[in-house]
Amino acid sequence: MQRKTSIPLEVLRYGAIFLVLGFFVFPIFWMVLTSFKPESAIMVSPPRFLFTPTLDNYYHAIVDKNFFFYIKNTLIISVISTAIVVFIGSLAAYSFARYNVGDGHILFFILSTKMMPAIAVILPYFLIFRDVGKTAVGKALHLGLDQHGALIVSYVMFNLPFAIWLLVSFFQDIPRSLEHSARLDGLSRLQVLRKVTFPLAAPGIAVTAVFTLIFCWNEFLFAYILTRKLASTVTVGVESFFTLQGILWGPVAAAATISVAPMLVFVLVMQRYMVRGLTFGAVRG
Amino acid sequence: MRKSLASASLLALLSAGGAFAQECADPVEITWSTIAGFYTDAMANFVKSFEDDNCAKVTVVNIDNSQLYNKQVIEMVGQTGAYDVVTLETAEKAEFAENGFILPMTDFFADKQELLNDVSPTLRAMTVEYKGDVWGLPYYTYTAGMFIRQDLIDDAGEQAAFKAKYGYDLADPTTWEQHRDIAEFFTRKAGETLKGEVLTKDFYGVGLMAGPFPEIQDELSAPLWGMGSDWLTAEGTVPVDDVEKVLGEYVEELKFAPPAALTVTYDGVMNQMKDCQIAMTHGFFLDQWPNAVKTEDNCPGAKVAAIEAPGKKAYVGGFLLAVSSSSAQPDMAMKFVAHIGGYEIQKQFAELGGASTLTSVLTDPAFATSERRATNGQYATLNMIFDSMSGFSSNLFKTPFGAKIYNTMQIPLQAAAAGQITVREAAEQLAADVAKICGGPCPIAN
Amino acid sequence: MSAAPESAGLAGSPPPGKSGMSDRWFSILLIAPAMLITLIFAILPLIQALDVTFRMGDLSRGKIGDYVGLTNYRIVFADNQFWQAGWVTLKFTVVAVGLEMILGVAIAFLLHGATFAKGITRSLLILPLATSAAVTGLFWRYLYDTQFGVLNWVLGLLGLPEPNWLGDYTIALWSVVLFDIWQWTPFVALIALAGLQALPKEPFEAAELDGASKWRVLTTLTFPLLKPVLFLVLVLRTIDCVRLYDAVAVLTRGGPGTATETMTFYLYRTGLKLFRMDYASTMAVFFLYVMLVAAVFALTPLLKQFTDRAKEA
Repeated sequence: MQRKTSIPLEVLRYGAIFLVLGFFVFPIFWMVLTSFKPESAIMVSPPRFLFTPTLDNYYHAIVDKNFFFYIKNTLIISVISTAIVVFIGSLAAYSFARYNVGDGHILFFILSTKMMPAIAVILPYFLIFRDVGKTAVGKALHLGLDQHGALIVSYVMFNLPFAIWLLVSFFQDIPRSLEHSARLDGLSRLQVLRKVTFPLAAPGIAVTAVFTLIFCWNEFLFAYILTRKLASTVTVGVESFFTLQGILWGPVAAAATISVAPMLVFVLVMQRYMVRGLTFGAVRG
Repeated sequence: MRKSLASASLLALLSAGGAFAQECADPVEITWSTIAGFYTDAMANFVKSFEDDNCAKVTVVNIDNSQLYNKQVIEMVGQTGAYDVVTLETAEKAEFAENGFILPMTDFFADKQELLNDVSPTLRAMTVEYKGDVWGLPYYTYTAGMFIRQDLIDDAGEQAAFKAKYGYDLADPTTWEQHRDIAEFFTRKAGETLKGEVLTKDFYGVGLMAGPFPEIQDELSAPLWGMGSDWLTAEGTVPVDDVEKVLGEYVEELKFAPPAALTVTYDGVMNQMKDCQIAMTHGFFLDQWPNAVKTEDNCPGAKVAAIEAPGKKAYVGGFLLAVSSSSAQPDMAMKFVAHIGGYEIQKQFAELGGASTLTSVLTDPAFATSERRATNGQYATLNMIFDSMSGFSSNLFKTPFGAKIYNTMQIPLQAAAAGQITVREAAEQLAADVAKICGGPCPIAN
Repeated sequence: MSAAPESAGLAGSPPPGKSGMSDRWFSILLIAPAMLITLIFAILPLIQALDVTFRMGDLSRGKIGDYVGLTNYRIVFADNQFWQAGWVTLKFTVVAVGLEMILGVAIAFLLHGATFAKGITRSLLILPLATSAAVTGLFWRYLYDTQFGVLNWVLGLLGLPEPNWLGDYTIALWSVVLFDIWQWTPFVALIALAGLQALPKEPFEAAELDGASKWRVLTTLTFPLLKPVLFLVLVLRTIDCVRLYDAVAVLTRGGPGTATETMTFYLYRTGLKLFRMDYASTMAVFFLYVMLVAAVFALTPLLKQFTDRAKEA
């Protein structure tokens, strides 16, 4: 929709865009800048923009605090959680979208679990995983406390409603006629799902995956209660920089930058895809 | 520098314990939950010598100070046995003991009385003993005094101006009234002068920790205990009038503190001091000495001193190492407590700048030298505080609800500091909150 | 979940069935894994929580205790702080969601008309979304700091008043709102932008031919067409705001005093600091109940849309 453009209006528009971006980017810029500051340039007034950059903070975070350990845990937990959420969620969403299972009631039920305040169930979760972890199945699937499986299950549970919600509208946007003709060509229902529906819904599934991954990556409360050391994630790991000598701002900034970086790269790579996906799902909501 | 010291001592330990390490095939595993940070990191190094001597494998779990309490209670209630050795704040000991979360170590210490007696008696009374039993050893003390910019107090020009204004000599404060005067006196705007030099930024008389953290009560403990009162009376209720009085005085002093006082805790105050923004602290944790002394590097002519708080009373804090009752290896865990709280380790810990809990270490002349001032310069003051407070204990440490009270009381106190409610309302709300937590008057053990 | 043998599914509803399962069973099989997880990990803890609301439950004193009837409900409903926290949550949610929607849609319009540097703009906009409130909140605390923060330094240079962002009880909540706006407005903006770009062209061209004013096009065409997607975002943001915890925990811890203590933070304090699981569960159950009642109204139109479309064809 190209409209007649007037120069002053355009200047105003890009000026506004610049301001908006400044607001959203500055806090992260400041965090990254802090990560390269020597300790003597961080808690000083007035704030310092010029300094001799140092990699000490990164050294402290990566070598002394072994921060990649937390990155590894977070990666394992969020990627597996996201895969499960997307898989299970897609199946369920397809069922809701095409077969109207439960005539909206089951969908409402699943969505309503998203309203539960996590804090209310965190102790029951703690006790459940403590007991499950002692069983044979629990041991095999690493479902005990301070094990990856416990967090994965929690994240699947808490991200499933959102994922299903998004996915239902994506599936509804796929014309039924395509599936029909595939069925008439002799494909089974599952084959239709695999060869026709899912590929068509890929942008929508990608969007769902991105959001799920972001939510898992950034989750704090469950990670903090259900892990101790071996399965701790980055958000919990950052806490180990809150020391008796105060918050180690430089290393925290370095750790935060390291932990945000994979998400940024991922989001940037997926960006084009995401906008397509969001557009796709948004046509009719 | 410290790092190389640590690794040097670690190397020495390793080579000494090497012979044992090889013979230990099936180590006993224990886990220690403790506070994240430099000193704990140093302690983690010392864990190694224990492992080698006792054929043990010790896992150290570092937890943020503000989360340690709830994390430990959850594991205790769940009886997971995940933490064998736990780290408790002074106010939390009674709760853990009363609820059976930790094991008494009286019998264990029966033949180790010298070690127990080496813990400063004041500290021992508050952090170790409850209902006649011994519950572990403190390994670190953050007992409070206060930090002050001695160069400001000693400046001739400032002394003359102070005398002219207040009619008495400028010196280290010995009463809270003097503390207030000094705070007021040194509060200056940018452009005014301090020690004859023009200030480029605002300067404040005092740094306070009135942020949403359980530290405002540590500060207020100093004037409250100093006036002979306590957070809980012998009947187990909050003395509303006394709390109102000290809180009122505290709120008055907020005028002379940086606005950030309402959002920060001790690290914020230390940052302000290191950035040449404040003249002194209120009651403040002396373990922060190595931090505070950096002010001298950053601010030209600055000289920092650790002194006793006015009224010679202040919060006595120590991190107690205790053994979880759900531990599968209580014997090894107890040995570990004695090891970390023992002389050998405490001495090495002190060499790294840690605030030791043992009298023999705190009074060791080796730490009283001028070379050791940057790391152990507060020891002399600490000893004075323990002497001054000898025989004192707070009822806050004798009630099984101490931890919950301690973790809640900053809310009304801070609300009053921020001006959300009046000082009187805050004192009354504190009393009501405490009564609600205890379900009536709080039981006080003797 | 390839439990359904593929050979059996050769026939379905469009061509009359031979053997194999019916559509009904196939659809149930598809939702089975999701249902199983939800039932176990939502309902089980909920039942436990519900049970605790009728019992004495001071966890720090050991186990869950005896049944006490409705005592916990009486105590919770008489608790001023509980209602206070509810009020704070309501204020936060209404203002934060309101501003995020307005700003988000405005930014979407701003970007929609732009032709230059679209990709990079969108990428930068996503940044706040990709970070964790638990971590970036810390740096906002640093920005807000009155002694060391950049914000007040800039205001000071401009000669403007320097607010005590997180220390002044009259504005602390709005400072948390500002943080939430920073983190979540891009979410609204991106989805609204996607919605804008997906709008069908024809009605707009027709309107232009008719000479309709820009305002009229906006109110009669653009917004009605965008409504479904905006409504979805509104519901999502509302649910998240009502359950706000991380931002408060890292920025203010409910302070100063209780000025920013939201419902979930009060729940946290009651459940995980005082370990009164009975009170905490009671609050949570009540909270969930209120949310569900609200959800019935909020979600019904959305659900109707879903089911209508599912029934089509």
